[in-house]
Amino acid sequence: MIDAISAGLLALLTPQAVLFLFLGVIYGLVIGILPGLGGVVAMALLLPFTYGFETAATLALLLGAHIATIWGDSVTSILYSVPGSAKGLALCFDGYPMTKKGQAKRALAASATGALFGGIIGAFFLALCIPLIRPVILALGPSEYLIMALWGLTVIATFGEGSLMKGLTASVLGVLVAFVGMDVVTATPRFTFGSDFLMDGISFPVAMIGLFAVSEMMKLTIKGVPIVDRTLVKEESTVMEGIKDAITHRWLVVRSSILGLWIGVLPGVGATVAGLAAYAQAVQTSKTPERFGKGAVEGVIAPDATMGANEGGGLMPTLAFGIPGGESMAILLVAFMGLGVVPGPDMLTKNLDLVFSMVWIIVIANIAVTIIGLGITPWLARLPSLQANLMVPIVLSVCFVGAYATRGHIEDVIVAAVFGVVGYLMDKYRYSRANFVIGMVLAVMIERNLHISMTLYGNDFLLDRPIALAMLMFVLITAALPFIRNWRRKKRQLASGVTAP
Amino acid sequence: MKTTRRKLMLAGAMAPLVMGGAGRALAQAAGFYKDKVIIINVAGGAAGGHTRYARMLQPYLLKHSGAKEVRIVLMPGGGGLKAANHVWRVKPNGLELFFGNVSTLILAPLAGSAGAQAFDPVKFSYLGRVTSEPRVLTVGGKSAIKSIQDVQKLKRPFVFPSQGTDEDFYTMAVLGDALGFKVKAVTGYEGNADTSLAVIKGDGDGHITGWSESLGPIRSGDKNPILMVTSLPSPDYPGIPVVTAIAPAAKRATVQAMATILETHRSYIGPPNMDPQAVAAFRAVVTAALKDPDLLAESKKGERPVAPLEGALQQKQVAELAKASANLESILKAAVKDIQ
Repeated sequence: MIDAISAGLLALLTPQAVLFLFLGVIYGLVIGILPGLGGVVAMALLLPFTYGFETAATLALLLGAHIATIWGDSVTSILYSVPGSAKGLALCFDGYPMTKKGQAKRALAASATGALFGGIIGAFFLALCIPLIRPVILALGPSEYLIMALWGLTVIATFGEGSLMKGLTASVLGVLVAFVGMDVVTATPRFTFGSDFLMDGISFPVAMIGLFAVSEMMKLTIKGVPIVDRTLVKEESTVMEGIKDAITHRWLVVRSSILGLWIGVLPGVGATVAGLAAYAQAVQTSKTPERFGKGAVEGVIAPDATMGANEGGGLMPTLAFGIPGGESMAILLVAFMGLGVVPGPDMLTKNLDLVFSMVWIIVIANIAVTIIGLGITPWLARLPSLQANLMVPIVLSVCFVGAYATRGHIEDVIVAAVFGVVGYLMDKYRYSRANFVIGMVLAVMIERNLHISMTLYGNDFLLDRPIALAMLMFVLITAALPFIRNWRRKKRQLASGVTAP
Repeated sequence: MKTTRRKLMLAGAMAPLVMGGAGRALAQAAGFYKDKVIIINVAGGAAGGHTRYARMLQPYLLKHSGAKEVRIVLMPGGGGLKAANHVWRVKPNGLELFFGNVSTLILAPLAGSAGAQAFDPVKFSYLGRVTSEPRVLTVGGKSAIKSIQDVQKLKRPFVFPSQGTDEDFYTMAVLGDALGFKVKAVTGYEGNADTSLAVIKGDGDGHITGWSESLGPIRSGDKNPILMVTSLPSPDYPGIPVVTAIAPAAKRATVQAMATILETHRSYIGPPNMDPQAVAAFRAVVTAALKDPDLLAESKKGERPVAPLEGALQQKQVAELAKASANLESILKAAVKDIQ
């Protein structure tokens, strides 16, 4: 194995591989920052240009670009509440409030450092778990995916904004919107009103662009002030603070990274759910969960660490079975075929050096993204203080182009605008937009996996699936933790109040 | 039905001759599309097989058409029905076309799919097939089922993980009917990756995919191929029975129709009543592109084989198939009803 580790690294030390990795990272950062475009688009656009180059260089270009989109997505989520793609959603919850509090540099640096640590931990565990990959993947199925989605759902309680009923209403609205399109079980159109456009459902990234970005721009236009008015809120945070935050919360980083790796192993779960589950886990394990949603740095670190580690996990089904865990991995599979590499069990024995090249690419690309990211953070952090009359047209143009670019449909621009109005009204009347999108992203996943679990294993499927049952217990315990802590705190306060003189 | 089969085989045999004729229309092709923008609506997502083929063909369509731009627009949704409905309604000037799976366009209306009520597959303008990948029924490598006969002897339904009502779902329904075994479709899976893993794990008994999609797991022993769903046997897949050879005589015409529909596969089509000049020009462009040595080299290297069928022949073939496949209707409708 040591030979494979060093051979994997050596393959990346050619001028072509180094150049391709660097190009991939820069390109991925740019694509990630553009709303609506993420890692899949980044890799799909690169694929036609990858034939005829060294194997390691080709993988460096594709994986480097994919990894760079993670932080690229986070940048606009933090600065403008505009998720670069669906997986940047969880970064809006606390990243954007941090920006509004004048802590943009700290949030960006914490996000980059969290993603770096997550990426390295994910790559390390990927290397460590190689012999265990196949049995682990074979042991997991729809019931386990269902529990993972339920875990993501527990985060809804965090964003009630004082009213559980309003929080639940927002979630239910999100669920209803998610059900627009073809029913995943019976393949019949649902809530489509005879429209071809609606047959494919409401695009999640487009809805997010509307709910978060367009509605924020509407607010700024009405108020006529920038996101951060420097006469009222000074940018007093530093890049170093963000780095220190990630180090201080190292156990959160480790927990989130392992979670990301775990979710990566479950094909089809995806980075969006990974980010939400990481956020849920950060809230539930925090001693001060009430700070979340208002600019808690842990709410930035956890999703980025999870998404960083998710890449390592996502490679596992692709390498072990030749079965892509998601669209980006499907593109990687195409690249493998072009390179004459056949994924499957042989990959973990005969092509182990190539697997380790990928592990090294994840590590090096994460380091490169973080160095570049930390370097440009001071400039990026200035953007939210631009005057509203300058910023609103720029951000709105980028949002609407992003909405169009997501699927190439002009109707998506209209959807983004409509969701902008919906988002504005929800914010005004204190219905959580976060809950809306959580309901939206998890609804179909829950529907799909609940149906499959019940069809395959019967109504009492949990009794047949011990791993799912154990995961459910874990979810129930972590969901109950904040309530138990709260109850204990109140009990202590009551006790100290009684005993006080 | 025999007549239909004969006609289809004759059409296949004549393909090279017609393709030669189409090649001569190249000058006309270059003239029609010169400096124009051609939009290809691909019925698939960024990582899908249709998109990969569409992108592979794109520079060659540009080269042989003389167009200013050949623009790829991804239009996933409804298993290709969304793109088909869109192209059904575009102006028939030949500048906006569809690329995707023709078999879905034939099967979905037969099954009474709600998304396929607006169009008539026969009336589309068929512009040429790029490839036809054989479909294969595979079971898990560790499954007790080792052959199609084992499936027929099962005392319980054959569990079939499925994405929904795609062509694999319809094919499985036809196989069950023709070969006399019950099928329990478990719908809701997100894609072929999901259904593949379900089969490898043993959650499902087996599923149908394109040959290349299952090639890796077949080579590694994670899956076993037990039946080819093709109209004719091929030396490329020795030892694997072909459905048209093993189906009982009474059902042979049905499976033949199904196999032939599946072989229509990845093709370019245009709206109904498309400008005849545009039809001729684009057919010639597709034919020329598919003969381009650079494309053939790229196709071989990327393991994306091409299997051209000229548009005029395809047009006739689809018309014949629509007539021949009427007996599929009740089978497909029953299968859809089962999951609803």
